Amino acid sequence: MSARATDVTPVTPARTTARRRRLPGSLAWHLGSLAVLAVILYPVVWVIGGSFKRGEDIVGSLDLFPSDPITGNYTRLTEGIADIPISTFFVNSLLLAVGSVAGILLSCSLTAYAFAKIRFAGRNLLFTLMIGTLLLPYHVLLIPQYVLFRNLDMINTYTPLLLGKYLATEAFFVFLMVQFMRNLPRELDEAARLDGCGHLRIYWSIVLPLCRPALITSAIFTFINSWNDFMGPLIYLNDPEKYTVSLGLKMFVDQEGLADYGGMIAMSLVALLPVLAFFLAFQRYLIDGMATSGLKG
Amino acid sequence: MRQGGSMERRTILKAAGASLAVAGLGATATACGSGSGSGDGTVTIRYSWWGAEDRAQRINKTIALFEKKYPKIKVKTDFQQYADFWKKFNTQASGGNPPDVFQNAIGFLRKYDAKNVLLDLGEQVKAGNLSMDGFRAGLEKFGEVDGKLLGVPVGSNSMALVIDKPVYTRAGVTPEPGWTWDDFDAAMKRIRDRTGRAGDSGMYGVMYLYDLYLRQHGKAFFTEDALGFTEADLTDWWTKAERGVKEGVYADAKKVVQVKPKSAVSAELAGSEFTWDNFTVRYTSEGKSEYGLAPIPTTDGKKTGQYLGSLMLSASKRTQHPKEVAQFIDFMVHDPEVAKIMGYDRGVPATQAQFDAFQPDDEVNKAIAAYETSLVESGVLETITPHPSGADVCEAAFLRIAEEMALGKRSVEDAVKQFFTESKTALAG
Repeated sequence: MSARATDVTPVTPARTTARRRRLPGSLAWHLGSLAVLAVILYPVVWVIGGSFKRGEDIVGSLDLFPSDPITGNYTRLTEGIADIPISTFFVNSLLLAVGSVAGILLSCSLTAYAFAKIRFAGRNLLFTLMIGTLLLPYHVLLIPQYVLFRNLDMINTYTPLLLGKYLATEAFFVFLMVQFMRNLPRELDEAARLDGCGHLRIYWSIVLPLCRPALITSAIFTFINSWNDFMGPLIYLNDPEKYTVSLGLKMFVDQEGLADYGGMIAMSLVALLPVLAFFLAFQRYLIDGMATSGLKG
Repeated sequence: MRQGGSMERRTILKAAGASLAVAGLGATATACGSGSGSGDGTVTIRYSWWGAEDRAQRINKTIALFEKKYPKIKVKTDFQQYADFWKKFNTQASGGNPPDVFQNAIGFLRKYDAKNVLLDLGEQVKAGNLSMDGFRAGLEKFGEVDGKLLGVPVGSNSMALVIDKPVYTRAGVTPEPGWTWDDFDAAMKRIRDRTGRAGDSGMYGVMYLYDLYLRQHGKAFFTEDALGFTEADLTDWWTKAERGVKEGVYADAKKVVQVKPKSAVSAELAGSEFTWDNFTVRYTSEGKSEYGLAPIPTTDGKKTGQYLGSLMLSASKRTQHPKEVAQFIDFMVHDPEVAKIMGYDRGVPATQAQFDAFQPDDEVNKAIAAYETSLVESGVLETITPHPSGADVCEAAFLRIAEEMALGKRSVEDAVKQFFTESKTALAG
């Protein structure tokens, strides 16, 4: 930036002085951003460095990189945790995350369509009640839900963790999609209606494709939430073979017995990868969707 | 257009079906095995405990032994670390679905007895499925509450002063049995002056240590249903602590919090820490130094107030298979092979047969064995009354409020008041 300002000669004197005046400001802005970036990246780099340190060097040391790097923490992961291969946890987590994303996208968008596009008696009341569920603390629901699923004999299966996602119980995503759908021009579905479309057809062929940014946002959030969920799997899953990554991560250290910080930190890093990959893969569509959604109509 | 209508419905149904199938797959692939009895008389019991993966591997081996001896009983395990274990257990117990048998500790006996969760194993002892003979140092009484046998000890541990040996040597401090609190205070100062390291990690927040201190003065942390000390007692204890933190004889609380879950001793912030003797195993695995055990300081030169603490196995009242659960517990506390596998992981084995079966060959475990034996032989051990319901909440509050006090977030007066308010609520509930 600064180089260009000095190289380019055919500029009016007024603009040059303006640029010069802006230069220190811009420099400060960049330096400031870099400083913030360093602060944000420090823990990430620390974790990466830490995964190559010996267990006893990890906690309590601020050094970014090991003085004597080892790969033992990663090779140790191939032995599994408590006689269970690491891949089991990843397959379980992936199954739950993908299942959750599919459920949320379908059920929440269908519910949102009804709230946003159909006029029916009690719509506002129902919508308010649904938003009201956002105010219920998780801990209030925990035991009643547990009792419910126990009576349905669904403990120690993935059903309690997935069922709600297929019944549009995540009010936040419904709300997000309702707001998005309300902003779509009414003329589009009126035109479709004139062409003879029913509600399902309008939902599937007109509204859903236009909602792509909202859907992608929901998908990313759902994936990350499900991947990171600890309390749900903790309460509902009893066999270590069914545990998710978030539970597996906590198997390395307890207050009694041997502590394996090396294994824990290496696994946390590996556990980050699917979330990162999912985000990178979909974030592209997010921007794409925003830019083009207005034109597609 | 009607045709179009049915088409669109079909596409949607298909999509919905596909995504439900994904969910269904997860459910059906894992739905098997939740029943606990089957046609051929095989019984499945659920066993939950807290610990990390090292303990998991040992326990899996002992279960393999058990299933070999009792082919008709299958054991399914489930484990988390300490805090998560109790979160899960609490939900399961409230939801009427606790595991058949589980690891337990003294602070939870009355609590879950009051909630009608624990099985009185006395019946099974009478029926001959569980033997309470051969326990060391009176441990067979440890899990008894109001005449009911609510837990069977698997191992014993005691409070000790875990020390960083080279630091103590450098400072020229040698703790002897019967040393007094004055000796201890002088030693802490000496360690600070000669090694530049705080003497202690923060004993003021350790409920079990304050309990010992109170016992030396003829009181105790808990009576059967309340706190056994006054606000004035605690004010004295914490005033001394606040001064110690300021002078640097106790480690900087801020740094101690930062290195968690590592201990302040293995993180080289403090020369010693009051904790359970079997914690040295973890400290050795996470720290670089050599760690040893020193006796608890006394007030009168004799009485330490100590008792054996212990992990226990308890059964839940709702179990469909009390007999099998009793057989399982019996096997786990008496079988010598189990002791060889478990080592001192859950403390020094509770029964003489298991104690004799395992001979430690490393320094850390040898030191634990020697410490435990010396306690039994010196006759300092007292009996312990099971903690009242709500004791676990008090213990957590004690630790947290002491930490806030040491961090300077609360004055001593405020901290004491807060602790008494919180524990009154906890013990009343």
